Parts: sequence; structure tokens; C-alpha cells
Amino acid sequence: MPADAASPTPASPARVPGPARVPGPARVPGPDPVPGDHVPLSATAAASGVIHDLGYRRYDGRRLGRAQIARALCWHSLRSAFGFGRGVKAKIIPVIAFGIMCLPAIANAVAVATSASRAPIVHYDTYTSAVRVLVMTVFIAAQAPELVSRDLRSHVLPLYFSRPIRRIDYPLAKLAAFILACLIMIEVPELLLYLGTVLQAHGLSAIWAQTRGLVPGLLVGLMWAVVLAAIGLALASLSGRRAYATGTIAIFFFLTWTLARLLSHIAARVGGAGRPVPVPGAAGPPHGHLFFAGPGPVPAGEHLAGLISPFTALDGVREWLGGTTPGIIPNPGGYGPAYGLMVLVFLGVAVGGLIARYRKVGIA
Amino acid sequence: MTDDAPARAAVLPGAPEPGTVIDIRALTKRYPGQVTALDELTVSVAPGVTGLVGANGAGKSTLIKILLGLLVPTDGRASVLGHDCERDGEQIRSLTGYMPEHDCLQPDVTATEFVTHLGRMSGLPPTAAKERAAESLRHVGLYEERYRQIGTYSTGMKQRVKLAQALVGDPRLLLLDEPTIGLDPAGRAAMLELISRIGASFGISIVVASHLLGELEQICDHIVAIEGGKLLRADTVVSFTQASQVLVIEVEEGTGQLLDELARRGLGPTAQDRAVLVRLDGEGTYDAVRDAVADLGLPLNRMERRRHRIEELFQDDRAERSEMTGAADAR
Repeated sequence: MPADAASPTPASPARVPGPARVPGPARVPGPDPVPGDHVPLSATAAASGVIHDLGYRRYDGRRLGRAQIARALCWHSLRSAFGFGRGVKAKIIPVIAFGIMCLPAIANAVAVATSASRAPIVHYDTYTSAVRVLVMTVFIAAQAPELVSRDLRSHVLPLYFSRPIRRIDYPLAKLAAFILACLIMIEVPELLLYLGTVLQAHGLSAIWAQTRGLVPGLLVGLMWAVVLAAIGLALASLSGRRAYATGTIAIFFFLTWTLARLLSHIAARVGGAGRPVPVPGAAGPPHGHLFFAGPGPVPAGEHLAGLISPFTALDGVREWLGGTTPGIIPNPGGYGPAYGLMVLVFLGVAVGGLIARYRKVGIA
Repeated sequence: MTDDAPARAAVLPGAPEPGTVIDIRALTKRYPGQVTALDELTVSVAPGVTGLVGANGAGKSTLIKILLGLLVPTDGRASVLGHDCERDGEQIRSLTGYMPEHDCLQPDVTATEFVTHLGRMSGLPPTAAKERAAESLRHVGLYEERYRQIGTYSTGMKQRVKLAQALVGDPRLLLLDEPTIGLDPAGRAAMLELISRIGASFGISIVVASHLLGELEQICDHIVAIEGGKLLRADTVVSFTQASQVLVIEVEEGTGQLLDELARRGLGPTAQDRAVLVRLDGEGTYDAVRDAVADLGLPLNRMERRRHRIEELFQDDRAERSEMTGAADAR
């Protein structure tokens, strides 16, 4: 361990107090709780002037409070979400997922540079829905268990709860860390998209237009990160076995997504006469909105189907709140509040479930 | 064993009362469904190494949870190092190191990383956490091994890591729950020696919960015994064992003769298997037995002082108690 090697080895006789230590006697004299035949170490050390550092040394330095400990736990968890501080194997999935997530931004930069119109092909508010859905599902299914299931599996929680934090601090720190991790996954490609476009833009007004497009895009990303991270962690905390946790998350996201799409297709076919009907057998569309750009009223069933999946619910809220780019579902219109409510329900149930889960974990 | 008994005896009465470590008054915990885990428990724990004895379900883990401020008692009070357990749980937990009974280690990290992280969780800044993790691991006897993943460790090494993580935050009190569980005899001896050393020369008070009384007898200054959530007995180890000093005498032949002779001399002997037991009332008893054996001309095989195991005392207590209450003890 290179970092450790830099600090003085414990057995070195003339030990220099580290930067975090308060200079002074190796051991606080104070009231000795065990008056026995042993002589206090500090007394002998002081008398002889030689430090025989084989005894126990008290820590008199700074101690962090509850909030700072929770922040340290959050940082530790954020690192582990990307496999930092772990082996190479732990980094494979997050790195690949992040790389794929950046591809649309790179493709857009290339397209802007090569096309005559300089029109971007990727929009800030949707990024690329299919890529986002797929990559976030994989990332969350793979990495949420890394944050919570490992600790459950190894029964390490009693060690956290017997330290100066409160029971609720643990799930909240983990949640904050995973939201940050999902934000990195979503917003960094978003910023790359912005950079790729702006660097080739001519004139301040073009840059301003891009910036105005970016801000709602970032907000949509924030909404995605918060809701998806909460759902992922809550599902992961149900099992201490990584494989089960990963499976639960993947099944939940894919099942609700497929169900929402399927029911939406059926509703469109039944009620949407005159509209171009999406082809159920078609593979994942590069841009979902191609299917929903058709004219005519959207049947209520199609709107209701979109409430089932967190992804479609999030996209519905985006459109309801003014997202202009056609997304993976038709604009909910009057059903907008229902979509907003559904996203809050997803979030509330997930966060509530996560906190309740850790209220139940025993310490002994 | 007997030689260090006086040194232990000095601990309790001789101490200038530096304050009790744990003070428990009429502590009661009832779980839903009328399960009473602790029943009006009142006891105070002085500095030093204290054994907390009780069978499974006696209320040991409930008590530990309440002491750490993780469980609210139904009634009564408890304080640790002067802090109220209900109000100041965080302060208590920053002054207390806890070593759980069960496995609580992550197999795929090194001991250094594990203990450093838990040092951070104890409130140490990054550098201090790293230093203290190295020191704690050294104190428990893990040197180069600490850079290996914990999954490769033996049970004894894992127990040491568990102890190191309790020690990393420089606690004033250690709560150790069955620290020798799963260890072989050599591992047990090493762990007990380690606990004893921490208690004696680190200036850290220790409460060791265990169901193995023989072990507690070896390392503790005091014993607190609970059963069914009630206090059975709390006293110094010395007073427990002194009250029960017995001389064991074994002769090659003529055990019956010896019994008669010792009875004649007023020593009140009792026979146990092939041995004769005599209550030890000072040096005179040795002389009387020696004279009796010599007068009878019997071949003496063995004469030694036997301290009662604490178990036996508790069994006596239990018997008395169940007689008093008339309760039929299933045990």
C-alpha cells in the first residue's frame, strides 16, 4: 500500500507525530481507570526521554461529527459505484456503460462538424432515449448492489450502526452517493453534447441558444438520476446476494418498460384509427418519437400505459413540463399531472422503502 | 492462577472511584408480544475488564443495544461513561468500540482498507484513520497480513480484525460480544491474552459478553451475571472464587479411613468420586490434612487447592432462587 508506506511505520522507535495528531505526550495522563501494577507509559517516557513506542497511544486529534461522517460514507460509496478503490474487474461495467452513454454526444459532434446545416442530431432534453434507458438500466442493475447488497451480505451494518451516526444516515448517504453516480452518468454526456456543439457554433447567439437548450436538459437528467437511483437502491437493498439484487432491478426496469410499450401499442392499435400504428415486431427504434409523431388523438389507454414504467413516466413529465422533442411516449397532454404524480409515487415508495429497510436491520 | 488474585482484588476497593463506566438502573425492555428481555436490571460496572455472563436469550444483546443507544428501553435508565443512553447515543458510540458476535467482515477488501474505512466512520480524519488502522491492526497482532484480502484469513485473524475495528476510534470502552467464538484452544488463549492486555495496559475499560465462564474467570476483574433479563449476581471475580476455596485430596488407598480421620479432626470432609474435598480455612487446613494423612500412613497422590468454577456458583444461586420462588426451572 503506497500511501501507507509514506507514513511512519508503527514500530519505528523515534516516531514523529503525524499531521493529524495533537503534539504532546503519547498518552494522556488523566485518571487511570486501571490502577494496577503497571506504570503509566507516559510517565516512563517522560522520565527517560525515550519513546518506546510499543504501547497504546491515545488519539487526541480532531473528530468529525455526524454530518461529516455521513459525507465520508457518501464519498466512499460514490467511488465504489464506479469501482474505484476496488479491482480492475469492478470498473469494467461502469466504464463501458459510461462510454456507451457518451457515444451519442460524440456522434452529434461529428454530425455537426460534417453536415452543411450544422444542425444537431441529438437533443438536450431527451439525449437519446433508447440509449439512456438501456445504459441506465444496465448501470443501475450492476452498480446499485455494489453500494448496498455487499454490506448486507457481509453483515457489516452493525459496525456502521454502532458508530456515531444515526440509523437513517446510512441509507441517505448511500442514496446521495448513487444519485451523484447517476448524475455523472447522465449529465457528463449531456455536457459533452453541449461542448461538442458549442465549440463549433458561430456567434454568441448560437452559443446562447445552445445554453438555453442545455439547462432544461440538465434538469431532466437530474429528475432521471434522482428517481432511478432511488428505485435501484431500494430494490437492491432487498437482497444481500448481488446476483438476486441485479436480477430484481433488471427485471423490474425491463418488465415495466416492455409492459408499458406493449400496452401502449395495443391501445394505439385499438383506439387510434387513422394514426400510423407502431410495429410491435420492430427492433428498438433509434428514435422512439418516430412512432408517435403521427396526427390524430391519442387514446387514453396509451397514456395510461405510459404510467407503468419509470422511464415512460419520466419522459411524460418532461413533455408535460414543456419538453419539445418528441420522446418515447406521446405527449401526455391532460394526463400530465397523472405522470407527475406517478413519478412522485415512484420516488416516494422507493425512498420510503429504502429507509424502512434499514430501520429493520438488526445490529447484533 | 491464584497468585494474581490479590492484584485483582486491589482493583475494586482500592480505586479512587474514577467514576463508573456503566450505570444501569431498573432497566426494563419488553418487546411486543409480552417478551421481557430485561426485567428491572440494576447494576453498575466499574473500570476494568468486566464479564457479562448469561445463557442465550438472557438479555445480553438487548442490553448491548440499549447501551449503544440503538434501542429505547421500556423503562428505567442506563448511562455509559456519564452519558445517558437514550439521549446521547451518538456521544456514547463515539466513545465506545463494539465487536459483534457474528461475522461482520467484507471478504474482498484488505484488513487495512476495512479498518481504515471504519476508522473514518468513527469520525477520524483521513490521515488519522489510516494511521490508527495500522496501529490497531498491529496491536491485535496483524502485520504483513493486513495487506491481504480478509477472505483469505483464518478465523482467528478475522476475530482480530473485528477487534481492531472496535479499537480504531480510540474508544474509552470496548463492548466485546463473544470474542472467542469459533476459535480453537490456542486461538482462544491468544484472544483472551490480547483482551487482558488491552484492559490492563491500554487504559480501556472492557465489557466481555460470553457464555463461557471459564474464560471470563481468566481475564475479568468483575463478573455480572444475568439470567432471564434479571441480575443474578455482580461481584469481583476474586470474591466469587475466594468464597469457594476447596482442597482436593486424593490417596492411593484408604479413602474411607481418611474421611473418618478428617471428620474426627473437624474438617467436615466430603467424598467426590475418588477424592476427598475439604473446605479451605487458611494455612491450618493444609497442616491438619498433612498430619491426618501422615498419621494414617496413607500414600498421598494429590493435594491441591481447587477453585470452584463460576458455573457451579451460578448453579447454586439458581437452585436457591428457584427454591425461593418455587419456580420450576426447566434447566
